[in-house]
Formats: sequence, C-alpha cells, structure tokens
Amino acid sequence: MTNQQLVRKSIQWILTALVIIYLITGFGITEYRIVEPLTFGLLTKSLAQKIHISIEIPFIVFLILHIWLLPLLKHFRSKKLVNE
Amino acid sequence: MKKVITGRSILFVVLSVMLVAIIALGGNIGCSQTEVLAPNEIREYEGADLSSINDFRENSIKGPQEINVDSYMLRITGLVMNSTNYTYDEVLNMYQRYKKVVTLDCVEGWSVTILWEGLLISDLLAEAGPLENAEVVIFHAYDGYTTSLPIDYIIDNDILIAYKMNDVVLPPERGFPFQLVAESKWGYKWIKWITEIELSDDVDYRGYWESRGYSNSADLDDSYFGD
Repeated sequence: MTNQQLVRKSIQWILTALVIIYLITGFGITEYRIVEPLTFGLLTKSLAQKIHISIEIPFIVFLILHIWLLPLLKHFRSKKLVNE
Repeated sequence: MKKVITGRSILFVVLSVMLVAIIALGGNIGCSQTEVLAPNEIREYEGADLSSINDFRENSIKGPQEINVDSYMLRITGLVMNSTNYTYDEVLNMYQRYKKVVTLDCVEGWSVTILWEGLLISDLLAEAGPLENAEVVIFHAYDGYTTSLPIDYIIDNDILIAYKMNDVVLPPERGFPFQLVAESKWGYKWIKWITEIELSDDVDYRGYWESRGYSNSADLDDSYFGD
C-alpha cells in the first residue's frame, strides 16, 4: 500500500466513524428518550449534544478532504509531469 | 472470491439502518401526532409574524400530559407566609391577565415566536407573601419535571405563566393548564404542566436538565452548558 492509499483509506475510515457518531449523537439529542435507555444511560442528551457540536468541524474537514484529496493530488501530479 | 469490507459499504449499511429507523420512528416519535389546528389560532399580532402551535417539537421527558382541569390545583408552597392552592378558574379569574409576544429558543436548534397570554407570577407570589429569605422559585410539573429561576428575575422581568398561546387555550401537548414563559432563557426553563410553585432559599437547586449538564442560569446570551 502506498502512502497515498494509506492516507485515503485513513480519511475514509475516520469519515465513516465521524458520520456514525454524528448520526447517533444527533438522535441522542432529539430522541433522547430512546437513545439513553438503549445505551444503558451512557449517552445522555447533554453528552450527545457536546459530542455532536465538537465533531462538527472535524466532520467538515474530513468530508472536504475525502471529496477533494484525490482530484487535488491528480491535479498536482499532472502539473508536475507537465513541468518535467 | 474474497469480499473486501470498505468504509463505504459500512457507511451504506449504517445509513440504510438509520433510514429505516427514521421511517419507523417518524410516525410516532420524531414527528408530533396529527393534530387539528385550532380554528382561531392567530398567526400575526401587531405586525409580528407568529409561529404556529404545531411548530413545536415534542421533547418533554415523559410525553404529553393530560391534566383533568376539575381536579387540578396550582399550589404555592415553600418560603411563603400563606401556602395556597388555586383551582384553574381561580387562577384565571383572580388576577390581571397580560399578553406578550415572546420567542422560545430550544437548545436543539429550533425556535418559535408565540403570542402568550397569562398572568404575572409576581402577582401570585405577592398573594402568598414570600418570606425574606426566599431567593429561588422552583417550578414543579405534573410529569415530575422541575426547573428553577431566581425570584428577582421573575419579578424584574414580568415573567408570565401562560394559559393561552396565539389566542388559543394551551392544548395538553403544549402544557395545559400552565406553561412558564421564561423570556430570554433557553427552552428547558419553559416548564409545562405546572402544578406547584415553590419558594426556596437553595440557590444551588438544579432542575431536571440543569442536573444533567445544562446551565442553571440558561441565559440565551450564554452557552447552555456550564455552571
């Protein structure tokens, strides 16, 4: 696995984790009467809200990286080849 | 052939499960039940656009409460000279009524602007006679929910307990018979189904959400987390 592939895979997995956490904590805020007992009281409404808010920016950053990383790398690579 | 489980396939499965859950739950929990809009609900008052009664999200701790008005009593207790019990009609008929357009902002991110009609809590308290050491007003609801506010805030800001919204008597899901109009405070201070108003000297008292990580002051200008 090349470094580029490793980075891409890492971003994908981190983004997957962030999406799952974002969805679960979102439900934890609005549907706390269901989520709190389902998580044995671990994910309370306030905790869900704190996590949800704190991962907003990382989520956006990783989403942008996920969408733009490959095209950007291709762009820079083609530029490099042209210059050579 | 070896199957590779990728992040994308996991995400697809998770999103599919979430979608099914949303559809399954949406009818009963995520969305409020289909309600008949009261025919006389007003949507504009003195040039201000009002939200609808149906714009609220149902997020109470035990769901909507049905209170029998015939057996209902509003109790004023704690550090008062005269602990008193009022019937619903007594509360409505004994005191001056007021109207006010106030916006409720929920920590979940939604807000509603409503014309509230009710009476001043300070009038109720004056009748009961607060003792000198009373510093906090603790509100108790029919479903066990509680919250508290400083007595000075209640008096200085002409805080109402409402029995009408948009010219319609509060429906059960909106807090009948009385909801607190905690102006400039986050939504969790707007207690519904009020059954008891208790005066206390316990400035550290924390209500239902306040004891679960939300701010006790609940000022709209500040974060809803903390103190």
